[in-house]
Amino acid sequence: MLLTLEALDLNGGEAMVWMSAQPALAERLPNRVELWKLRCHNPLRRACRRGTLAPADSDALIRLLCQMADRLYPMLRTLLSASEPEERKAQHWALLQERLSELVRERMNPRRSGVQRLLEPEAGLRQLRSLVQALAFAAGPGGVERLRASLLDAAP
Amino acid sequence: MKHTLQFDQLSCRLRVEGLPDVSAGQAADAVGIITGWTLAWVGRPELEGRREHLLALMQVVLPYARHLISAAPRPFGAADQPVAIGPGAAGLHRLELRSSQPDTPPLQVDLDAAELADLVRVLDQLRLDPRLVLPLPVPVDRPLRARELSEREPLQRRLAAPVGGAAALAVAAALALLLPPPPLTQPTNRPVPAAGAPSAGTPAAGG
Repeated sequence: MLLTLEALDLNGGEAMVWMSAQPALAERLPNRVELWKLRCHNPLRRACRRGTLAPADSDALIRLLCQMADRLYPMLRTLLSASEPEERKAQHWALLQERLSELVRERMNPRRSGVQRLLEPEAGLRQLRSLVQALAFAAGPGGVERLRASLLDAAP
Repeated sequence: MKHTLQFDQLSCRLRVEGLPDVSAGQAADAVGIITGWTLAWVGRPELEGRREHLLALMQVVLPYARHLISAAPRPFGAADQPVAIGPGAAGLHRLELRSSQPDTPPLQVDLDAAELADLVRVLDQLRLDPRLVLPLPVPVDRPLRARELSEREPLQRRLAAPVGGAAALAVAAALALLLPPPPLTQPTNRPVPAAGAPSAGTPAAGG
């Protein structure tokens, strides 16, 4: 989901670092190195760290994600709106999918099936739509509990 | 003393009117008693109602949004509740509003994901507004069980590991049964000599 936010906003990486400097998040995310270290606990990444995140670290990442989604809500809404012209919407989705694929190829382990699914044209687009929808409903402080519960869903 | 809380999104505006509950010692700018609310949508009839209707709206829309985050949408709102929501046709979301008047048919509103997200945001803004001191309880968001998820691994893949393990155990047991049993050896009935006495097969000393 964090990668999707970076794909939506060209300055998403820097915005993430800037947002993590807020008092509520600065204790767990004091600088970009600590943010990167927490994100590296994702086993789908090329270089991942062992171990699990502490609850406070997970909470900080979830809050950061919800705040970033809140900031990018107008873009999320435009992508999800049915009143947008279909051709323009298709172009937006294609551009977003291309950006996300570049980020995934750069940072994720291509041997993992989850990563390969993200890079497939049709399955990847379906998954991207789910991610954008999830970000829209998790945006803002009201979405933190919803997103946290979703991240703890049972394995399918 | 009447206050109006207003929350705006691109497709909707929620206005809640209320008063502070002075008997409970609430601040003058607080809203402790809701006297009415309206929800105005672009291109749709305006909704209005009392506190219980607003609560019913929050109690179905917010859990529905939680399920959408997990890509596992399902209907919310029992038949006896004034509000229900569920997946509609063509990727839309159908919100049904049932009047308390006996001969009034329910109002059905089809929302796209963007409009539903706007509705969720105004409801979140309302329930998290510090000026609202009236409790509006909504169901606690909880993780979904495997059965509730719509995208699960195919049954064949889920059963592959346990079935494969059971098959491997059966094959190993069958192979073990095919192995010849070890030959039985007859025990010999030779008397055990007492301590110091010569045994039957040994010649006596001096003889």
